[in-house]
This record gives sequence, C-alpha cells and structure tokens, in this order.
Amino acid sequence: MRVRRRIFNPLTELTLAALFVVLVLVINNWRFSLAVLLLVVFPAAVTSGRAGRIAVVFGVLVGPMLLFLLLLHGLFFPEGATVLLDLGIAAVTAEGLLFALSMGTRIAAFAGLLLTAVLSMDVSELLATLTHRRWNRKLVFVLGAALGLAPLVSERATEIMKAQRARGLVVTRNPLSKLRALVMVGRPLIAGLLIDAGDRSRTLEARGFAGTVPRTSYRADTDTTVQRTVRWVMLAAVVVFSIWWYIGRAG
Amino acid sequence: MISLDLRSFRYDDGAGLVDIAFTLPAGDRVIVVGASGSGKSTLAGLVAGQFDAGQGHRFVGTLTVSGERLTFDGSGSDPRIDLGAWGAHVGYVGQRPTARLSMVCATVAEEIAFGLANRGVPVERMHALVQRIAERVGLTDLLERDPRRLSGGELQRVCIAAAVVGDPGSLVLDEPFKGLDVTGRRDIEVLLADLRQGGTSILQFEPMLPSGVDSGSRVIMLVDGTTVADGLGVVEGNGWLGNGVGIEGVLPDKGSPSAWAVTKEESAVLIRGLTFSYGEDPVLSIADLDIHRGEAVAVLGPNGSGKSTLLQHLNGLLRPTTGTVGVLGQDLRGRSTGSLAATVGYLFQDTDQQLFEATALREASYGPRASGRSAKEAEQLALQALDDVGLADVLDAHPHDLCFRQRRLLALASLMATGPAIWVLDEPTVGLDLRGREVLAQLIRRHTRNGGTLVMATHEAAFAEAVCHRGLRLEGGTVAERLQY
Amino acid sequence: MRSHVEALMYVRTAVNSSLTLPPETAAPSSRRVLLIAGALIIAATYLYLVLVQPTEIAGGPGSPAGLITLLGFLGGGALLVAGILPGLTTQAVVLMPLGIALNISFGQLAGSLGLPIYVDAVGTVLVAVLAGPAAGAATGVLSNAIWGLFNPFALPFAAGAATIGVLAGIAARWGMFRRIYLAPIAGLLTGVVGGLLAAPVAAFMFGAAGTVGTNAIVAAFRAMGDTLIVAATKQGLTSDTIDKLIVFTVVALIVYALPRRTRNAFAFVRRHRVLLGQPSPKPTAGEPLRPERIPDEGRAGEK
Repeated sequence: MRVRRRIFNPLTELTLAALFVVLVLVINNWRFSLAVLLLVVFPAAVTSGRAGRIAVVFGVLVGPMLLFLLLLHGLFFPEGATVLLDLGIAAVTAEGLLFALSMGTRIAAFAGLLLTAVLSMDVSELLATLTHRRWNRKLVFVLGAALGLAPLVSERATEIMKAQRARGLVVTRNPLSKLRALVMVGRPLIAGLLIDAGDRSRTLEARGFAGTVPRTSYRADTDTTVQRTVRWVMLAAVVVFSIWWYIGRAG
Repeated sequence: MISLDLRSFRYDDGAGLVDIAFTLPAGDRVIVVGASGSGKSTLAGLVAGQFDAGQGHRFVGTLTVSGERLTFDGSGSDPRIDLGAWGAHVGYVGQRPTARLSMVCATVAEEIAFGLANRGVPVERMHALVQRIAERVGLTDLLERDPRRLSGGELQRVCIAAAVVGDPGSLVLDEPFKGLDVTGRRDIEVLLADLRQGGTSILQFEPMLPSGVDSGSRVIMLVDGTTVADGLGVVEGNGWLGNGVGIEGVLPDKGSPSAWAVTKEESAVLIRGLTFSYGEDPVLSIADLDIHRGEAVAVLGPNGSGKSTLLQHLNGLLRPTTGTVGVLGQDLRGRSTGSLAATVGYLFQDTDQQLFEATALREASYGPRASGRSAKEAEQLALQALDDVGLADVLDAHPHDLCFRQRRLLALASLMATGPAIWVLDEPTVGLDLRGREVLAQLIRRHTRNGGTLVMATHEAAFAEAVCHRGLRLEGGTVAERLQY
Repeated sequence: MRSHVEALMYVRTAVNSSLTLPPETAAPSSRRVLLIAGALIIAATYLYLVLVQPTEIAGGPGSPAGLITLLGFLGGGALLVAGILPGLTTQAVVLMPLGIALNISFGQLAGSLGLPIYVDAVGTVLVAVLAGPAAGAATGVLSNAIWGLFNPFALPFAAGAATIGVLAGIAARWGMFRRIYLAPIAGLLTGVVGGLLAAPVAAFMFGAAGTVGTNAIVAAFRAMGDTLIVAATKQGLTSDTIDKLIVFTVVALIVYALPRRTRNAFAFVRRHRVLLGQPSPKPTAGEPLRPERIPDEGRAGEK
C-alpha cells in the first residue's frame, strides 16, 4: 500500500476517469478508444503501484466480454453484407468483426479507466473528501458501508461454514454440493446481517447520525482549491466539446 | 442523572417489564443483576432511549434525564425520543459490539470520533477529545488500527470510548465483561472506576452478581421482568440468592464423582508433537497430550494463549503444521470436519454464529440429518436432546427469539443430538447465568459418567474445578502448567 | 483542562436541547421535484432509445445513443437518489449498504458461474420489502453505481435497478409477500418491465455482451435473423422474468426465515402488514398484566 501513487485527490481521479468515459462514448471510434486505453489507462495503471491487481481484475472482467463479443458478432451478424466465411446458420462478416472491434475497444477503455481509478484509490480518503465537500451524510455512509461491509461478510460466512462443518456438513467438489453449501450459508448470513443492522441503526442514531448540522470529518482535507477548479473546468470543457461534436461540427 | 419510574413496558407479543423504579444520581453506580430472560437488555435499551411506540412496544411510566421529565402512557401521542439528543446525555454500550461499529470508519480514531463528526464538532476539537479519551481508555496505540480487526477486549474499549467521548454524564453498559479474560476485565473495571471518579454515573447490567461489589454500589435484582430486591452493596447470605442469580467465581456443587473408571487403555484424544502456525508465527506447540474415555479436561489460559486453536484441532477445523492428532484411535489426517460430527461435538464460543436454522427443532435436527439419519430418526434424536437441556417447550421458536441461556443450551443440544463421544466446548460459561451453569454442569457430569470425554476451554477456574478431572494451563501456545483437581 | 471543558461545552450546545422529536412533517416539495425530474429523464431516455432506434448499429460516428443511455439512466437515477435519501430513516439507510453488498456479491457470483440469469437484485428486492419502494429504488441505483466502480458494465443499468426496487416495494405494500405463492408472480411481472428497460442498454452500450448464458440466448435469436435490439429484448424478457421470479422467491424465503422480532422492527413492514404472522397492534382484553415470556437477552435493542 505504501508504494501507491498519490498525485491527485481520489475525487479528482474519479472525475478524470468519468470524463474520459464520456469522451470515449462521444467520439465513438475504435481508434480513439484504443488510444485512450494505451496512452491514458496503461501508463496510469503501471504507475499506480497496484498494476498487478488492476491487470488481474481487468482481465477477469473484460477478457470474457471481449471473447463473447467476438463470437457473438463475429459469427452472428445478420446485417453483415461482406461474408468472409459461411458456416450455415453462422457467418463471419466483415461488418460483424468491425462491430465487435468497436464495442470491444469501447468496453475495454470504459472498464480500464474506472478500474484504474478505483483500485488505486483510498476509499476512506474519498469518504473524507466527500464529507468535506458537504455531500449528503447518508450517501457518504451508504457508499462507505457498502465497501466496508465486505471483509465482515466474508468473515461471518467463514464462521457459519465452520459451525456447519462441525455439525456434519461435508462439501465435496461436486458443484451441486457446493451450491447446497452456498444456500446453507447464505440464509443465516443474511439473517445475521439484518439482525446486526437493527443494532447498528440505533447506535448510529444515538451517535447523532440523524442530525442536520453539516457533518465534519476527522481526517484532514486532501483536496485543494486548484483541484476543485480543475475538476469544474474539465467538466465544462467536456460538455462544450460534446456539444460541438454533435451540433457544431455538423453545421 | 437518570430517574426511571416504570409501571409497565410490554411488547406486542406479551413479554415485558413491570414496576421498576430507580434513580441514578451523578457519579453513582447501580448494578442490575438478573438471569437470562429476566428483561435486563430490555431495561438497558429503555434507559438508553432505544424504544419507539411505532415499533411494537408500549411503555407506561416516566423517564427523567438531565432534568427533563418525559411521561409515557402507552398511547400514540407519547413523546418520541430524539436518540441523537438522548445519546448526548446517556451513553449506551450494548451487547455484540461488532454490530455497533459504524462500518464506514477505517481507523479506531474515526470510529470514536463518528458521533462528534455527526454533530459538526470542528476537526481540532475532535482530535483533542479523541486523544484525551484514548488516553483514559488505553487506546492510544490502537488509534490507527482498523476497528473491524480488533480483539474482543479492544473492541469493547472502543465502544465505551465512542459512547463517552462526548461526555454524556451517564453510561449504560449491558454485560460489558462478556467474553473478556481476567486482564481485559480488569482494564474495563479500572476504566469504569476512573469514569465514575470524573462524575459519570454508571448503570451496569450483569447476569451474575460480580464478586467484588463495594458497599457504596446499589444493586437491583431483576426476576421475570420486575424488581425483587434493591439495596446497597451485597453481603453473602442476605437472602438475595435463590432467585436464579448466582455470585461470580463461587463454585457450583461438586456433584457426585465420576462413576466411570478411567483407564489408560481407552484413549479418546491423542496428540503427538503438534505445532501450528499462521504463516511464520508459531501459535501452538503441544508435545504430547493424552485424554481418556470418561475424562473431563479443562484448558485454561488468557485470551490469545491458544485455547481455541488447540480445540479446533480436535475436529479438524484447523490442521496441524506438524505432528498428529488422533481421535478414538484414528488419525485425523484426511478426515473432513463434517465426517467427524458424530464423533466430536464442538461448541463454539460465539453461540449466535453457530445457530443457523429457523426453528429450535430444525437446528437440533441438522446434525443427525447431515450424518445421514432419516428425517424421522433425526427428529427423535433432536427432541431427546432438546428435552435433555430443558428446551422441550420452545421447539418452534426462532433461535434468535430465545434468551441467551436458551440459545447456548440449544447450541449444546444441537451437538448432543448426533451423539458424539467427545465434547469440545469453547468457553461454554461465558455470559451464562446460574441456571444455565447448573444445567451445563449436570449434562457434563452425565456425559463423563457414561464414558464420554470432555475438553473445555474456559477462563473460569471455579467452574473448571467443579466439573473437570484435570486441567492444562496454556500460555503463549504451550502448556505452562498441568493441574489435578 | 480548560480547553477540555470548552470542547465539551461545544458538544453539548451543538445538540438539540430537547430530548424529543417534533411531530413528523411532510417531505418538502423540493425533494418531490427531484423525484419527478429523475423519473421523467429516465422515461425520456427510454423513449428516445425505443423510438429513435439508433440504426447505426455498427457505431457510426456522430450518434449520441451510447452517451444518452449512460447519462440519461445514470443521471435520472442520481436525481432519484437525491430526492429519496434525505427522507429515509436511519433504519432504511443502514439496510442499504447490506442490500448493495448482497447485489454485488450475488451478481458477481452468477456472472462467474456463467448463469443465464443475473440474481443481482436480491439486495434491492430485500431492502424494498423491508423498507419500502423508495429505499428499494435508491438501493438499486446506488448498487449499480458502486458496482460500476469495479465492473463498469453495471453502470447504465442503474435506472432498471431503480424500477425493480420501486416495483418490489409496491408489490410488498400490496401484500404480494403475504403469501409465498404470490411473490414469484410479482417477480414475473417485475421481470417483464425490467427486461424491457434493460434491453436497449445491453444492445447500445455493450453490443448485448453479457454472461455465457445470456450470450447464448442472444446468439440464438440473432441466428434467427433478429436485429440486435430485438434479440436483446427477447433475451431480456426471457432472462429477466425467470431471474426476478427466482429473486422474489429467494427474498420471500429469507424474510420468512428471519426472527419475528427482527422482521417486525421494520417500520414499513409493520405499517403495511407486508408479511403474514404479525401480532395485532392492539392488546387483546383479559391478557395477564404480568408477562409470561420475557424477551431475549442481548437483543432488546431490536424491538
């Protein structure tokens, strides 16, 4: 965690990623998508200090999607005129391949941008920034707790599984046995989490969560005026560009 | 100051409290003692303001906090408590501390400051307050740790710190020592005494009478939802006992000696050269340990000394790094934990994680079903086990709707239903009241009399001495002492 | 010591001096405006996609279809959340992260197992049943937004998820969860709406790429000569109806397996008698004053 790059505030990085996503969608050209992937995502991921993890998650998420696109549109594309290979019910068409390429680069750029921003981000820093920027406390809580719950959930699932094994549950490699084990763990897990939620909501209320004064943050604000200005300027630039792209360019 | 005059408090399903009145003056301590199911937690929640007419309960009486007197008559026009404002006057530390964490704080410091931040306290003041309370509670070294990754005692201190950081004036604690060892407990006792010195009044709820109550503390005894005794300090033999409330650390009846002749031939558990480590850190090292049929062995030692680690090797939940573990003459290598359930019954320390079915009967039937019995046979076994622990009248209740004693005994019945020859119990007495202890002691004696074996981790020497033949004291993962009772 | 006292004074004065809440007040109209705007934007986006039917399926330059889908559905969802969140109780807010975590974990699991259904709405439906349509809608949007941070393909489906939350909450309110056999029917109907809403997103944003299972279905329809949007819609209708049927049933089983007091502690569940087997709100005459059964230790908080 120490090697993490810390150039911008997480909010700035997220904004940057989101605006690039918009640009990819606006320009809607596989060459631009590929360029973003190679010239923006790749260097950012490599210098993030978490390149390995980003690569793995990217591969797991995007890899199968690309393969599906290639198979789906490469083989089944009734609109395609230029048939390269006729396979009876399926046909490889040039148009289909081009469509797969266009969608594939778009999806890859889309996923790469957001994944890089998120996986190299310190969530609690983001929450602190949002609090300092006066975001709704309930929204900040929901964001933070949804991400903070994960380790607890897996820990509890392990405990329940242990208890069930101690009482005679045998999980074999058989997928059906695994599915059964999943159901057996899922129900008490969810029930336990809901019971906890009752206690948690009263504790939060007793700690003044339902209050209306602006919430403060224990952590220092890592955001700067410059970054805030830059975020708004970038947003405005992308909006202007998009309008020009759709309307101005044609006229 | 808190003052309660309760005429009745009832849930829409009939349960509740009647006729309880007390005043908690500033800087004083009141201890409410009652068995499981006597209504302690209900009363604690009530004083903490955690009730609402819209949620299915009706309260008739008055509650006065910081000079503001609220009258409730159980109707829809009752005042609705502003929990945030209430929490600024009455701090509340409930049971099950993990459920009380906010889940959005990455560090202990943020968790303690959560309530301050909600009230808009500026950063510098927040830092000063958190530092100050951390020093008093002994959390200074833990401020940067993840609150979701703390031990039980540390977590309890975080919860107390979060409750008192805004200096609420009164503090309500529901079984604050549950699951803590001697050191953990002493830390919290010192902290409470310190808070009291600083003018905080303390309302504490306990299942057993604490042994060292000073004569200046008021004790209220709760039985079946109402006050049966109320007075200063406790002198043994003042006629208070006999209401199902015991005194901590006092030995239960020694009972009849084991009728089973323990012989060296009939080995139940055999451990040779066992070591276990998480990664590089050695956690446990037991050169040799033999436990025979009909024998009851206690495993003692402070939290983190390796008691649970040792126990989890007995049914394969953990596997030795080196060495062997044998059970009834069979090496455990290659045996799955699930296949051992009919041989080794394991009771976990955290009962609530262990109950996973929707009714008590289904819970107890799970083990026999999993070990291949027919539904009918399994139900017979479950009914027998539930009858043995005294839960025959709550078969269809949801385990979570039972009181704590019943839940612990249900977990015990669930392991008994498969008829294991070896019982492995991890801290079975934690949080258990007198009646629960009596039932447990009886069942253990019957088990060993019939040739069964018991291995029990506990930090209660008195209970161990009452039901066990011998004990092992672990320290830092090795056997520090072997005891004969 | 003085600064300490000052700091404490600050804490004390910062809170309301009274210990009770004022009587409940109606939601301010500004929030209603946000809700209406959000719903309108989502509806308009959908209509645009269906009516204009961007013909440039191969991604011809100059068409804003993908962008409009993303911004319309996500932006509309954001407005809905902005309108809903301030009015939610703490109880509902605390449930939402749980619902989101469930959605994401189930969704990822179904995806990695290659199932032809998504089961990524278990949390949304659960929150909707326990805390109402508004909380359900907000859970749907936020879980897709948060999931989108790890799996960007979830982002534009936010509006569909919100709709499912609303419909599930309404179904719960109308008593569709009082009988275990009504829940799957409600799920089926919700699935039809969900499928229709999701299809254009799948088609225009991702070329209908999904999991192994959903792809097989799309491929089958495409092989029969359907256009991508039609194939995606047919696939959506097939997968979503089955999916929501299963999800609603699973949620019904989960809520009925909850301890009675936990279930009844949810204000929405009590007010609208969402589930069967609840105690009557009024005491029956002649009940003994002394309680015969005492509540559970350590759980008093929940009641």
